[in-house]
Amino acid sequence: MKIVLSWLNEFIDLSDISVETITNDLTMAGLEVESVTDYRKMFENFIAAEVVQKEKHPNADKLSVCKVNTGSEILQIVCGAPNVAAGQKVALACEGATVPDTDFVIKKTKLRGELSQGMICSEAELGLSNDHSGIMVLPEGTVAGKPLAEVIGYNDVVFEIGITPNRPDALSHIGVARDLSALYSRPLKKKEITVARSPEKIEDVAAVEIIDKDNCPRYSAVVVRNVTIGESPVWMKNRLKMAGMRPINNIVDITNYIMLELGQPLHAFDLDNLAGKKIIVDRATEGLKFTTLDSVERKLKSSVLMIKDGEKDVAIAGVMGGENSEVVPATKNILIESAYFNATSVRRSARYFGLSTEASYRFERGTNHEGTLYAALRAAELMAEYAGGEVLSGELDIVSPKLELKTTELRFSRIARILGYEIKSEWVLTILKNLGMNIKSADEEKALVEIPGFRPDIEREIDLIEEVARINGYNSIPSVDRVTSPLKSAVDEMELQNKIRNTLIGYGFNEIMNNSLQAEDVSRVFAEPVAVMNPLNAEMSVLRTSLIPGGLATVAHNLHNGEKNLRIFETGHIISKVGDQIKSFDNISEQIAACLTISGKVSEKTWSSEEREFDFHDLKGYLNSLFESTMDINVLRYSYHNEERGIWQYSGEIFAGDHLLCTFGQVKDSYLQKFDIKQVVFSAEIFVNCIKRNLDKVKKYSPVLKYPKIVRDMAFVFDSGVKYGDIADYIRKNSSPLLKSVSLFDRYENPKTLGDGKISLAFTLEFYDNERTLTEEEVEREFSGLINKITKNFNAVLRGN
Amino acid sequence: MLNKINDAKEKFLQNIEKVDSAKLLEELRIKFLSRNGIVSMLFEEFKSVPSQEKRAIGQGLNALRQELQAKYEALKTRIESKGKASAPEIDLTLPGRAPAQGTAHLITQTMNEIISIFKKIGFSVITGPEIESDRNNFGALNFPEDHPARDMQDTFFINRDFLLRTHTSPVQVRIMESQEPPVRAIMPGRVYRNEAINSRSYCMFHQIEGLFVDENVTFAELKGTLVHFAKEFYGNNVKYKFRPSYFPFTEPSAEMDITCFICGGKGCRVCKHSGWLEILGCGMVDPNVFTSVGYDPEEITGYAFGMGIERIAMLKHDIKDIRLLFENDVRFLKQF
Repeated sequence: MKIVLSWLNEFIDLSDISVETITNDLTMAGLEVESVTDYRKMFENFIAAEVVQKEKHPNADKLSVCKVNTGSEILQIVCGAPNVAAGQKVALACEGATVPDTDFVIKKTKLRGELSQGMICSEAELGLSNDHSGIMVLPEGTVAGKPLAEVIGYNDVVFEIGITPNRPDALSHIGVARDLSALYSRPLKKKEITVARSPEKIEDVAAVEIIDKDNCPRYSAVVVRNVTIGESPVWMKNRLKMAGMRPINNIVDITNYIMLELGQPLHAFDLDNLAGKKIIVDRATEGLKFTTLDSVERKLKSSVLMIKDGEKDVAIAGVMGGENSEVVPATKNILIESAYFNATSVRRSARYFGLSTEASYRFERGTNHEGTLYAALRAAELMAEYAGGEVLSGELDIVSPKLELKTTELRFSRIARILGYEIKSEWVLTILKNLGMNIKSADEEKALVEIPGFRPDIEREIDLIEEVARINGYNSIPSVDRVTSPLKSAVDEMELQNKIRNTLIGYGFNEIMNNSLQAEDVSRVFAEPVAVMNPLNAEMSVLRTSLIPGGLATVAHNLHNGEKNLRIFETGHIISKVGDQIKSFDNISEQIAACLTISGKVSEKTWSSEEREFDFHDLKGYLNSLFESTMDINVLRYSYHNEERGIWQYSGEIFAGDHLLCTFGQVKDSYLQKFDIKQVVFSAEIFVNCIKRNLDKVKKYSPVLKYPKIVRDMAFVFDSGVKYGDIADYIRKNSSPLLKSVSLFDRYENPKTLGDGKISLAFTLEFYDNERTLTEEEVEREFSGLINKITKNFNAVLRGN
Repeated sequence: MLNKINDAKEKFLQNIEKVDSAKLLEELRIKFLSRNGIVSMLFEEFKSVPSQEKRAIGQGLNALRQELQAKYEALKTRIESKGKASAPEIDLTLPGRAPAQGTAHLITQTMNEIISIFKKIGFSVITGPEIESDRNNFGALNFPEDHPARDMQDTFFINRDFLLRTHTSPVQVRIMESQEPPVRAIMPGRVYRNEAINSRSYCMFHQIEGLFVDENVTFAELKGTLVHFAKEFYGNNVKYKFRPSYFPFTEPSAEMDITCFICGGKGCRVCKHSGWLEILGCGMVDPNVFTSVGYDPEEITGYAFGMGIERIAMLKHDIKDIRLLFENDVRFLKQF
């Protein structure tokens, strides 16, 4: 909302207060000033001047050399405009002037050899309009030397204020003035209506009927006859322009002017185009077409509130008028509509038509039902003055008895309870009065406050407390650094996620964050995705069912940038649909996942290391260590799949009890193709909720080795189909508790030495007992027993013997 | 005989002066301390010393052997350790073998920094789902249906009743519905807005919500807590102001501004020449919110606040395009 300082001054005297102070005070009262345009400063060094002589530039066809009288001296100005002529009064930018909206400072200069001591400006150069066809010519009687801002009526300051949705009253000059009146304890001036009325009565020429009283509790109308359509006075056009509205004609401008002044949207009908000279407020007829002022034909539906005459629709109530009753140059007689429409009804209409107007914006936030008639009369008064009309006597004003002012009780003690400090009750009442509230009664403890119609946002005690707090200033609220509240242990639901994150960072992973909105085709592979009704585009139409696609998108992005060796992870929510329709939270599965993705080289060739590509066992190793550091790994169970499954070329699964904790593997080529990745990628997804962490379980010390352990190695040649895991499991199952660990220390394939289809695996076995020193004999017995069993069961040959 | 002992000692001391290598040291040992060395020869001679002199000469000889042996050992240690230190075999300037260093995402880092400040003063950390009911996201937070306040947050809808949460405030509703006061928690999480993606806005971002509800919580405590936060996060000298604003779920509502740390309050492009940066929204929990979660607004008061993490991180680290945060270029990620 753009607020013009001189306009504010008509409602409250601010002449002794600086623009900076007003700006700061408005912001600190909740009307945030987003920018200030001070035209007086903007037009500093711009003056009105008279062109006394114009000659052709000796060296340029399109330029003229002018002698210009500034009131105190004659300057020479080179000008390129076709319309410049001797005798004209023009806008002159003198030395030192800055061209609006640029950093260009006017200096004395030579143009094609001729001295130029300033610039004669066009409206476009002054930022007043888009007209740069020629220089701006000022009225005949303009005195040379006068500051330009004064001459063109821009001797003013405009505040651009961001109005929050709860403050429709501040979408007007009087509303902003009222806050200032409370801030500065200065009276708010009201403009009395003094226009003379013609003897003819309005009832004889027009009628209003409200059928839908719920959506239109009040409708006020005034008739102005015999107007002459023309331009508005310059001052009014200037104010409209400064407030961001385009002048159209005197009648339309006046309705807009009153809206900006009082916040009440008005509509001017051409009375002669209203069939039966009648206004009927009623719902639309379903399916009818209606053409609005912007020449768009719109299809109506029955819930939309319309303004009709005796025969047809003439306006969408609160949103926009119709072409069929619009004010045109030939219009003579005007019916001014000033109504109070139901906010929700207007909002629904505006949304249905996808049409937001200055009027609908105000109606849907709530207008002042008390002020409709006054606004209509103010407009009529201006039409009498600036369009030569006669205002008929009387008015049509239908008011629903349901329109009542609200009253609210305010307990003074409650102010301190909420704000944490005391404000004297007299001062509280003064603030409320200055804001336009009516104090119906007050005692030491409380006051009964009647809320005026222009503050639809105020309904409860807390709303009044906020008014008092903001006018008294949030700065005056103390800042207390002591808190008294019962002790309660704090929980941290992010702890496990952070633990996983920190562990992976320790392994050298970079954390990534991807958009949770994804394309459906990459998500559906994992689970039934939840779709968004109103997505930005098809690539972001569903919520991610897995973090893996995000990891792959990241791989693709980085490969494209030449970063080929990646070790990345993400944690976040994954979401899928349970059942056909989402009727309750039970139909949504939302859980925390962590995703590891590795691709490229695990190590580069350096002076001390060989180059090596990431493989499945790197990923598996990261997972093993990660689980070891986050949970009890004794409950884990692994299963492996050499065949293609889902997005995997081959894969593994880790279960914790019955719950799938993790799937991991090499991503198959056909899935990588969707991301345009031509490099091998390994990925893992961990379902974090399934990590059963015994945070409270205290680890008990188990004694470290007291007695020597005995270590034995054995190597076999197997048929190459054999799996390490099977043999290791077999060894564990077939040995006594003395065997404490099995590990693989070598794996070797070589047809030349071992023969085709053969593989050598070499194991290290560690034996010990916590109670005593083992004897070589008993270990030897155990060891050779195992060798025999393995040789038999796996068709193996012991090596090295 | 005693003279010979003294001579041997002096000779040894003269010789040892010149010894500076293992080779010379060995020569010294052979000359004096070996089986055929000077000291052994003297012990050989000692055998033929008359018995009345044996005692004095024996002591002298033993002392000589101990002294020479000790001096020899000390020098040997010195020469050996010197030899090691100057060994040319290891190039100590070769690059070290560093383990790969991972990184937390900048949003995580910023979020955790903020979370830790509030954890230290007794706030729990609570999370909630990203798909929310319209009721938890709007209705229970005092956003009436068909109210322009809903326009403040462009929403992605799942259907009529479910949506992607537009803020972390619904977690407030969940906590209060699941427990009795006092409630003291921060609620970090991802939120969504139906806004076109460009350098300044993204369709999702992260927020941290805070809530403290008890019998006598006041605006003054809200100010105290947030001032504490601002000082911890932005430094002790930070200047701040609270100005009135509007959020449906708090009343009175406020925005907290701090002095622009880019220009120090002089005014720059980032703070739109105001000298101030808006860092968070806050206010006293609206009585209607208490009513919808089943608390009695006459008995219970509380404050809530919320801040956007991306904005804070971008300002702090001079990032001008929000898309950088979600592009995951490792060259970007490794910078933080």
